[in-house]
Amino acid sequence: MAAKTLLDLQNLPDADVVALAQRGREDAFRELVRRYERPVFSLIFRMVRDAATAEDLAQDTFIKILNHIDKYRPEFKLSSWLFKIANNVAIDHLRRRQIATISMSGSPHASTASDIEATSFDIASDDESALDEMESKELGSAIEKAIATLRPEYRSCILLRHVEGRSYEEIAATLDLPLGTVKTYIHRARHLLRESLDHLRDE
Amino acid sequence: MQHRHLLPNEIDLLLDGEVGFGVAPLRAHVDGCEDCQARLARSRKIVDELEDLEHFAPSVRFAERVMAQVQIVEPWHIAALETAQRFVPRSASMRMVMAATASAVALALTSGAVWLTLHADLTLYSINLAAGRARTVLMDSAASIIGTAFGQSGLDTLRSSGLRGLALGAGVMIVAVGGATFGLRALASSSRRTRE
Repeated sequence: MAAKTLLDLQNLPDADVVALAQRGREDAFRELVRRYERPVFSLIFRMVRDAATAEDLAQDTFIKILNHIDKYRPEFKLSSWLFKIANNVAIDHLRRRQIATISMSGSPHASTASDIEATSFDIASDDESALDEMESKELGSAIEKAIATLRPEYRSCILLRHVEGRSYEEIAATLDLPLGTVKTYIHRARHLLRESLDHLRDE
Repeated sequence: MQHRHLLPNEIDLLLDGEVGFGVAPLRAHVDGCEDCQARLARSRKIVDELEDLEHFAPSVRFAERVMAQVQIVEPWHIAALETAQRFVPRSASMRMVMAATASAVALALTSGAVWLTLHADLTLYSINLAAGRARTVLMDSAASIIGTAFGQSGLDTLRSSGLRGLALGAGVMIVAVGGATFGLRALASSSRRTRE
């Protein structure tokens, strides 16, 4: 009976599983965690580049969402809500800890080369080496290394676009950014990835 | 066909599979320009690599750790509904018997309520009659107790003094009972102290 119920839940769309969770069904909560633990953890892991930290932040994300499941509005995608919270906790963490965000570019609002140069920054982690982390087993591929060199806001946009397959409009809604800004970020991220990969492959 | 190489944002338009009036000339240029073809191919390779990236899995106990901190609240109306459903018999025949009984009880209660509403004057008369009888029984009992305790003369005095006399008599009686209780307790205490 329990196995049948679980199987039924796996076939339901997100909105229906959320509706069951709102009625206090524990198995519906578990199903939501099962569906999104990998995408949420992966997004955060690629943002913070530390597995233990990513797991703690992913856990915070789920707890925030599931403890406020009664506030979910079905006109929005649950996954967008999850990615929004996941991105926010990752960005907050990066700001708090100022961990290694090896930026190759300046402010996204910079329009000239001198502005970009003036606003670019390199932050090295105090307690862990970003490069060591980048060369870890999971994040060791060239593309992962190149992603790690992006500014966090570029990184979240490019990951949502190409790893999670979200449209520009969904990314704008998820990250609370204007559509034009999202397009600019993704355009710059692709450009930087091209440069970074050329550089890595030349080595 | 345009005669300049594509700008990076134009490459992005092609990468995103945009269609429209402005995209056709870009495609036409790429078809005839090896340099732009190579740039587009490089960009497409990066996008393909990004799209091939796999999700990482958290630790096996991740879900358990999340669930340990999630407060699962069942709304009261759902809980009430489920409680009510527990009383519904499983077999169809028993459900029919239960439904028939519940319908009969509901019908009887509704009929009673309707009848009482339609005969409001009779209802009020009955209530007044019952209250009057209760008052008479109470007064007769009280008179009997007072007559036994104080005799007929005491009863006549109380009756002649009206409500004020009745209240005074009740007050005296309460004081007398209270005094007697206190006196007995004091006596019992002193006798206990004497024994110790």
